[in-house]
Amino acid sequence: MATVALKRLTKRFSETAAVEDLNLEIGDGEFVSLLGPSGCGKTTTLRLIAGFLQPEEGEIQVNQQVISSPSLLVPPERRNMSMIFQSYAVWPHMTVFQNVAYGLKFQKLSRIESEKKVERLLQLVHLEALRERYPSELSGGQQQRVALARALVVEPQILLLDEPLSNLDANLREEMRFEIRRLHEEFRITTIYVTHDQAEAMVTSDRIAVMYQGKVVQVGTAQEIFERPKTAFVAEFIGKTNILKGKWEEGSQVMLGEGLLVLVAATESRKRGAEVSVCLRPHNISLTGSASEAEQWRQKGYNLFAGVIQRRIYFGDAFDYLVELPVNHLTLRVVASPSQRYDLGKKVFALAHPDHCVPVGES
Amino acid sequence: MLLPLGWIFVASLKGEGGWSIDGYVQVFSETAFLKAIWNTLIISFWVGVIAVLIGSLLAWLVTRTDLPLKRTIRALVMASFVTPPFLGAFAWTLLAGPNAGLLNKIYRSVTGSEEALFNIFSMGGLIFVMALYSFPYVFSMIANVCELISSDLEDAANILGANKLKIALTVTLPLTAPALLGGFILAFLHSLSLFGAPAILGLPASIHTVTTQIWALFQYPPRLDLAAAFSVPLLLATMLLIALQKKILGRRGYSTVGGKGGERRLLHLGIFRIPVFVLVLAILSLSVFLPYWILLKAALAKAWAQPLTWDNLTLENFRFAFFQYGDTQDAILNTFKLGILTATVGTMIAALIAYITNRQLLWGARYLSFFALAPLVVPGIVLAVGLFIAYTRPPFVLYGTIWILFIAYLTKEMPIGFSQAETTFKSIHPELEDASRILGANRLQVLKDVTAPLARTGLIATWCFIFIGVIRELSASILLFTPKSKVVSVVIFDLKEEGQIGVIAVLGMLLLLVSFLVILAVQWAAGREVLATRE
Repeated sequence: MATVALKRLTKRFSETAAVEDLNLEIGDGEFVSLLGPSGCGKTTTLRLIAGFLQPEEGEIQVNQQVISSPSLLVPPERRNMSMIFQSYAVWPHMTVFQNVAYGLKFQKLSRIESEKKVERLLQLVHLEALRERYPSELSGGQQQRVALARALVVEPQILLLDEPLSNLDANLREEMRFEIRRLHEEFRITTIYVTHDQAEAMVTSDRIAVMYQGKVVQVGTAQEIFERPKTAFVAEFIGKTNILKGKWEEGSQVMLGEGLLVLVAATESRKRGAEVSVCLRPHNISLTGSASEAEQWRQKGYNLFAGVIQRRIYFGDAFDYLVELPVNHLTLRVVASPSQRYDLGKKVFALAHPDHCVPVGES
Repeated sequence: MLLPLGWIFVASLKGEGGWSIDGYVQVFSETAFLKAIWNTLIISFWVGVIAVLIGSLLAWLVTRTDLPLKRTIRALVMASFVTPPFLGAFAWTLLAGPNAGLLNKIYRSVTGSEEALFNIFSMGGLIFVMALYSFPYVFSMIANVCELISSDLEDAANILGANKLKIALTVTLPLTAPALLGGFILAFLHSLSLFGAPAILGLPASIHTVTTQIWALFQYPPRLDLAAAFSVPLLLATMLLIALQKKILGRRGYSTVGGKGGERRLLHLGIFRIPVFVLVLAILSLSVFLPYWILLKAALAKAWAQPLTWDNLTLENFRFAFFQYGDTQDAILNTFKLGILTATVGTMIAALIAYITNRQLLWGARYLSFFALAPLVVPGIVLAVGLFIAYTRPPFVLYGTIWILFIAYLTKEMPIGFSQAETTFKSIHPELEDASRILGANRLQVLKDVTAPLARTGLIATWCFIFIGVIRELSASILLFTPKSKVVSVVIFDLKEEGQIGVIAVLGMLLLLVSFLVILAVQWAAGREVLATRE
C-alpha cells in the first residue's frame, strides 16, 4: 500500500541540473514508466526515489510521509523498496537461492518461512531447477529472473526498475516485458519503471511519464500520449510521425504555407499567428489517385494534400511512401496497405481526418 | 614521503658552512659524476631498445600467432619478471665472468683459444643483463594492447588492398606504437633506478652509474650533501619520463576502440613455427634457464665451477647458509617479517584508499589517489637517501631499526598495491552494492556481504605483489640497513664481496622459491574463484 509523490524535485551534478523541478504523483498499486532518451534524468529520478541520492530542492513523499528532502534522507535500507538494476546486479559469489534469500535476512522470519517464500518466488519465475547454480552459469534472461525474484521476495511497498531489459537480446526482451506485467498483476506493487523503449513502456505501464531534459513533459496512458501528444518531442519520441510547422488561424486551423490550411483537432485555443506544429501519424493518412474521390472526402471535412510520390519502400505488410507537397518543400510520410501501389512521380491526394491532426507546441 | 623528499632538497643545498649550491656545482663539474650520469643514460637507452625488441617480439608471438606452448612461455616471462635483477646479474657473473665464467670455459675448451668470449663486467654485459630483466615490463604492456586489437581492424586494411607487410606497417604498428614507446620509457625508468645489477657487474670494471655513485657517496666518509644533490637529477628525470609516458599512453584510447567483440585470429607461422619456438626458448634460457641452473649448481656443489658429480655434491652450503653464517638467520627473519608486515599494512591502506576514491566517499578523494601513486616517481635509492636524512635526526629517529625499512618498503610498494586494489574495486559494479542496500543492508553489512567477498581475490593478489616486491628489494635497503637490521638481499650483496658463492646461491634460491610459491598461491586462489563464479 503505497503512493509516491515527487514534488518540485531538483538534483544537480556539478551545476548542471539532471532533474529540475520535477513533479509526479503515483497512485497505490500503479505501474508508471519514466520514458525518455538517455540523459533525460530518468535514472537520476529513480535513484533519488531509492535514496541513493539526495535532492537539492523539493521532496519525495511516500504515503504523505516525507522520505527525501534537502534536509532529510531516509537511507535506502529503511525505505521498504526493491530495485532491479540495469546490470542485474546479481551477486556472483552467491547461488541463485542465496541471492533470492538475501533480503529476507533482514526480516525476522523463521528459516522455514523464508525458505518457503524463496521457493515460491523461484517457482513463479521458473527458476526452481536452478536454485544451486551460480549466476555465471545462467543466461542473461535467467539472471534477470533472479533479480526479479530477489526484488519481489521481500514484498516491497514500492518496486523500482532501472532499464532492466536493456541488456537482453530482442526476443527475450519482448518476452520479459509480458513477464514483468504478469508479475505486476499478481502482486500489484506500486512500480516505477525507467526505460528509453516506448514499446516496453506501453506493454508494462498503466501510465507513462515522458521525460525530457530533467522534466516530465507529459503524463498519461499510452493511448493518451500516443494520440494526443502535447509537444513535438513527445510525438516524435513515441512512434513515427509527421511534424508540420505552421501558424495558428481562427477556427482550429493551422496555416502550413501558401494556401495550405489544415483543420486540426479541437484542443485549447491559441493566439492567432502563434507558432504551432501539427502532428500527423503516417498510418492515419490515406492516399487516392482520383481527384473526384478526393473531392468527396474533402466535402466530408477531411484535410486534403495534393502531392507527388517521391519515394516508396515495400515492407511486406505495407508501403511506406514519401509524398512531396508543392508548398514550402513539405513532405508527408504515409503508410498505406500493400494493395495501394503508386509509382514514383505519380500525382496523388493525401487525406487526413482533423481528429488525427493534433496541434503540438515546441518542447 | 613528502618529508624525505623535502630533506633531500634541503640537504642538497646545505654545505658545511651554510646554504650553498656547492653540492650541485661539484656534482655537475666533477668528471666522475658526469661520467656516471652519461653511463646511466647510455645503459638505460640500450636497455630500453633491447627490452622493447625482445618484449614486443615475444608479446606479439604469444598473443597473435600459433606458437606452441604459449602458457609455458608466459609463465617463463613471469619467472624473469619475478627474478630479482641483482640475482640474475650474480648468476651471470658465474656464467660469463671473463676467467671462471662457465660459458667462457666451454668456449676455451672448444676452440682452444686463450681469450674469453664474453666479459660480463662491461657496459655490454651490464646492458645485456639489465635488458633481460626489463623486457617483461614491455611484454605485459604490448601483450595487453595486442589482445585488444581486433583482427577486424587488420581485415579492413586487407580488403582495401593492403598485403601482410603493409598491414603490419600501416595498421598494427601504429596501433601499438604508443605502447611500444610507453614500454621503452618503462624499461628505461626501470634500468635508471636499478642498483643491484650495475653494482655487481659495473663496479668491478669501474663503471659507475648514478645509483652506484649515490651508494658510494654513502660509504665512509659519507657525503650526504653530495648524495642528496646527486639524487635530485635522478628524481627529476623519473618525474619527467613518467609524465611523458602518461601523456603518450593517455591518448592511447584509439588503440582500444573495437577491442570489444572483435575476434582475434592467429597468424599461422607454418614451417617457421618450430624454429621461432626454439628462438623464444633461447631468449628465455638467457633470463631463466641458464641463471637458475647455475644457481642450483652453485648451491649444491662443493666447487661451483667443477662439473656436478657425486663427489662434488654437497648440502654443506645449505647448512652453512642457514645455521652457521652469522647474519643469515636474522636476515631471513627480518625479510619475512618485513614482507608480511608491509604486505598486510600496505594492502589495508591501499584497499582503503582505493575504495574511498573509487566510490568517492570523501571530498577530495582524487588527491588521495595522487598521493598513493606519487612514490612511483621516486627511485628506491633516492627514497632511501631521503629517508636516511629524515629519520636520523629528531623528532623521528628510526635509523637502525627495521621500521625505517618498513616505511621505505611501504612507500615504495604503495603505487603497485594501490593500482592493484583499484582495479579490484573497479571491477565490482557499484550496483552490486546498491542492490544489497535497497534490500535492507546498511553500509557495514554491504561491506561484509558483498564488497569483501568480491574483493577478496584481488586483495590477496595485492598482498602477494607487495610481499614479493619487498623480499626482493635492494636499492633502498642497501642505504638503510644497519648490522642489526639486515635483510636477505643486502646479505647477498655483502656475501658477493666475500666470495661466498654457494651461500648466495642458496639464499637466492630461497627468495625465488618463496616468490613462486606465493604466485602459485594467488593463482590457486584466483582459479578457485573462477571455478566458483566464472567471470
